[in-house]
Amino acid sequence: MAVPAAHVGTKATVHGSLSVGLRRLLGPDYRMGYLFITPIFCFVLSLVAYPFGYAIYLSMTHKLVGLPPVFVGFENYIRLTWDGFFQRAVVNSFIFTFGSVGFKLVLGVVMALVLTSPIRWRSFWTGVLLIPWVAPTVVSALNFLWIFDGSLGVLNYLLVRVFHVLPQGVGWLSEPGTAMASVIAVNIWRGFPFFGISFLAGMKAIPAELYEAAAVDGASTLQRFRHVTLPGLRTIMIIVVLLSTIWTFNDFQIVYILTKGGPGGTTMVMPVLTYETAFGAQRLGEAIAVALYLLPALAVTIMVLARYMRKGRKR
Amino acid sequence: MDRRLADLADRLAAGLMARREFLRKAAVITGGTAAGLGVLNTMAHAQGPKLRVWLFKSYVTAGNDILARQVEDWAKERKVQIEFDWATFGDREQKFVAAIEAGNPPDIAEMNYQGPMRYRPALRDVTTLAKDLAAARGGLLPFAERVVQTGGQYFGIARLVFGGGLHVRKDLIAEKGLKMPKVYDPDVIEVAKKTQDPSKDLWGFGQTLNRSDDGNGFLQNILWDWGGGTWDKEGKPALATSYLKENTAALQFAVDTIQKHKIQPPGVMGWTDVHNNEAFMAGKLVMTNNGASLYYAMGAKKHPLFDKTQVILTPGGPAGSFVASNPYNWGLFKASKYAELTDDLVRWVEDEKHFEEYMKACSGQAGPVYKLRAEHPYWKTDPNFQGMLQNILRGVWIGYPGPSTPAAIEVQAQYILCDMAGRVVTAGLSIDAALKEAHKRVEDIVRIRSRS
Repeated sequence: MAVPAAHVGTKATVHGSLSVGLRRLLGPDYRMGYLFITPIFCFVLSLVAYPFGYAIYLSMTHKLVGLPPVFVGFENYIRLTWDGFFQRAVVNSFIFTFGSVGFKLVLGVVMALVLTSPIRWRSFWTGVLLIPWVAPTVVSALNFLWIFDGSLGVLNYLLVRVFHVLPQGVGWLSEPGTAMASVIAVNIWRGFPFFGISFLAGMKAIPAELYEAAAVDGASTLQRFRHVTLPGLRTIMIIVVLLSTIWTFNDFQIVYILTKGGPGGTTMVMPVLTYETAFGAQRLGEAIAVALYLLPALAVTIMVLARYMRKGRKR
Repeated sequence: MDRRLADLADRLAAGLMARREFLRKAAVITGGTAAGLGVLNTMAHAQGPKLRVWLFKSYVTAGNDILARQVEDWAKERKVQIEFDWATFGDREQKFVAAIEAGNPPDIAEMNYQGPMRYRPALRDVTTLAKDLAAARGGLLPFAERVVQTGGQYFGIARLVFGGGLHVRKDLIAEKGLKMPKVYDPDVIEVAKKTQDPSKDLWGFGQTLNRSDDGNGFLQNILWDWGGGTWDKEGKPALATSYLKENTAALQFAVDTIQKHKIQPPGVMGWTDVHNNEAFMAGKLVMTNNGASLYYAMGAKKHPLFDKTQVILTPGGPAGSFVASNPYNWGLFKASKYAELTDDLVRWVEDEKHFEEYMKACSGQAGPVYKLRAEHPYWKTDPNFQGMLQNILRGVWIGYPGPSTPAAIEVQAQYILCDMAGRVVTAGLSIDAALKEAHKRVEDIVRIRSRS
């Protein structure tokens, strides 16, 4: 069928003006720009967006091993919301995360202060303090499994037989009071060097003139720390605390190796529950729902934390 | 190929070669290599089929070695290539889940009791082979029949069941002039109290209730021993309904061993499957329930406690003495292109001559799942084997007295009974509340499983 000439002309004009507009807005070689970002766009789409989208879809299905998924909407999320075992895992995750990060922050600052002070063999001590961070987590956790062992562990041996501090060994990983404290302690031991070394780098970037000026003004050591060191470290603290919060919240190896979430769910945290639901219960849809459940809440927590710490910096 | 392409790239960068020439030469190199790989692939196929075989790495290493060698011998005889992989207690289910979901399972795998129920959609119906093998061996023992068969179809070929029992320090019992315990309450408690010496870190009984296979097995057994159980005869959840009274008494006993009688070592609620083995071999326990791997390990290491240990029948309770017998079996996957070969391999390793060789190396761990194997003279060669054998012969299946179902298997896999006991011991929950909490979890599993 013939197209009226006037219509063709109008279409061509519109196309031409759109092209001119885009060229004016995005620059003369905007087409080349699209070409350049296509590979990374495809890369992100295939390796991040697609798996993430598929995970969200699976979390809304009833998916058992070897069987096709059955869409159930938000049923998995609703069931988890009222599940006591899941609720305890959420609470445990926050206790584990914030308990660990809080202590790591304090210890990291102490480590950095010690390593910036004039001590002998500073490089040696820096290396020694980095060992927990460098050692593979699995190896560290297995060592602590032995250290904390109620019958054969070195900790009870020292406390009972060598130092006679306790009349009888403690079940470090089997008592509700000590099991969570023990896994937190291992996480702190493993993670504080990262805080320390980051703060050490931050402290070295603080101009010495600021300390000299504060000293001339009569500031005490504590005042210099509070008014010079801490403000100087604030940016690094934000980054380190945020990173550590994410890492600790997702920490699987330490808890799984030491307690598997036991005894009686006392140390059950979200990553271990996800694993248990996926490979123990073999309910893959529900396992992904466990993993994704707190993602929005965690994102908000991190944003609030970041905003709070930034607010302090602006002030 | 990488080096040749890198040379070309260097020459192009140095301006010694035109871009067109670079593309032409690169295409020749790449194409030539691809063609070469194709030829190699054809040659590899010409060598015969390649079977992926997953075996289980148990703590009885001598048995592992013999089974692997037998598979290799078969492959040599049949001119088949074998690609071995090993699964352990810690990663077995994870490997199966990943392989099945990826659509890339092995051709044949040694599975535990959970396999036939859990991976049924991916497993081949092996009814003919299973019936042939069973008929030639006097038939399957009841617990094995329940685990590998459902609705008349077989999804696994039963192979063996781990022997085990209560490992007792007979020297310490004799020292005090005591008899071997037959029931948990009062026998085990009294023997434990009279033989233990906490000041020397010697404890009467070592039995974790923590999330572990040991904890699972013990708790399931004592529920039956007291007349209760997780499931009723129809296969309905019964923890806090039909068997509430019996289960309450059984759970109370388990908790009392730690809290009231204080016959268990500190830290027992944090134990995993290996801790009681280590504690027993370190001379810190008088009694512990375990599979034959503990007896094997002591024998293999010429451990001083080997001769001082007696393996006896697992103690019972007011309603009798029950033990879950969980058979290992061969899973043959639907996705395999070599159904005839995998059938042939199973016949080879289950051949009585081959199995005998394997069984003799396993120190009681390769218990019988077929009636005729239970009559083998091997089981009379060591007094400790008798306890193990009797334990197996009276064994029941997970789900007893109802059927063995995927839901019953999941209750075990999720350690729901262990969590139930843990909630009482560590969180201070009442027995009644813990039973009801666990019952609700079991009901959830049934509801979710019934949808598939």
